[in-house]
Amino acid sequence: MNNELFEKLVDLYAGRDLTSELDEQMEAAAAVDTGLGHEMTSLRNTVDLLHSDPGPIYTEESYQRILMKLYARGAAIQPKAPSPIHLQYHLPIQG
Amino acid sequence: MPNDALQDSLAEKRWLTALAEGDPSALGGIYELYGERIFRYTFRMLGNRTDAEDATAETFLRVVRRSAELRADGAFRTWLFRIARNLCIDKLRQHKLMELPPDAQYSGAEERTTLRVTVHQALNDLPLEYREPLIYCDLEEMSAKEAADILKISVPALKSRLYRGRRALRDKLGSAMERTL
Repeated sequence: MNNELFEKLVDLYAGRDLTSELDEQMEAAAAVDTGLGHEMTSLRNTVDLLHSDPGPIYTEESYQRILMKLYARGAAIQPKAPSPIHLQYHLPIQG
Repeated sequence: MPNDALQDSLAEKRWLTALAEGDPSALGGIYELYGERIFRYTFRMLGNRTDAEDATAETFLRVVRRSAELRADGAFRTWLFRIARNLCIDKLRQHKLMELPPDAQYSGAEERTTLRVTVHQALNDLPLEYREPLIYCDLEEMSAKEAADILKISVPALKSRLYRGRRALRDKLGSAMERTL
């Protein structure tokens, strides 16, 4: 098997883009070739790791701050719900 | 089409029509639909919450300013991500000029495990050419076609960058991943 085709198959295996039949054939080949096995496993683990990333959390505070930025720049937009109390500005109490 | 996707598609059509007609409430509707996705994308590109919030707000402001460019051909999401991408690239250039680390706040309380921090650092260290396909296809789980459209490259070129990016990330992670998995 030429090198380029071998690399392509490993790439497709890592992204789970092979048919189940080819997937099994690759795993059978990896069982007798430790180098290939390591290549396949490490690359698939990398892809799985990315897929399982929960990503940044879109908090209520971020949602509200973006709305405020839009509003401050003149967009005709209003928060759907009142801002949480900790995000509201308070005027100092006058004596 | 799954029910949620159909609902989103109908809502998108409704808000885009409203935007074209100059309805001031249209921006709010579009932000409700896409705000979270654009925020998550800009956070992943820029690596910190403050810049991501700025870039998200600016993206939606540009939608209004450039609404005349909108076409009813179903490519709104691609167009929206392109706007966000251009803003992120401008911000990344500014960071480079100011020598700010792009992940200044990324490794904060939200990134609890050591491996996650390592992954994000390794991802941020990759050249943008490799990082972007990983963000679109492996993190945002877009199709190769959609990612290629956003980047204005062919699908084979996108896949080539994606595969190289995965290998480069794997090599950067190296022993950190083997220790944890």
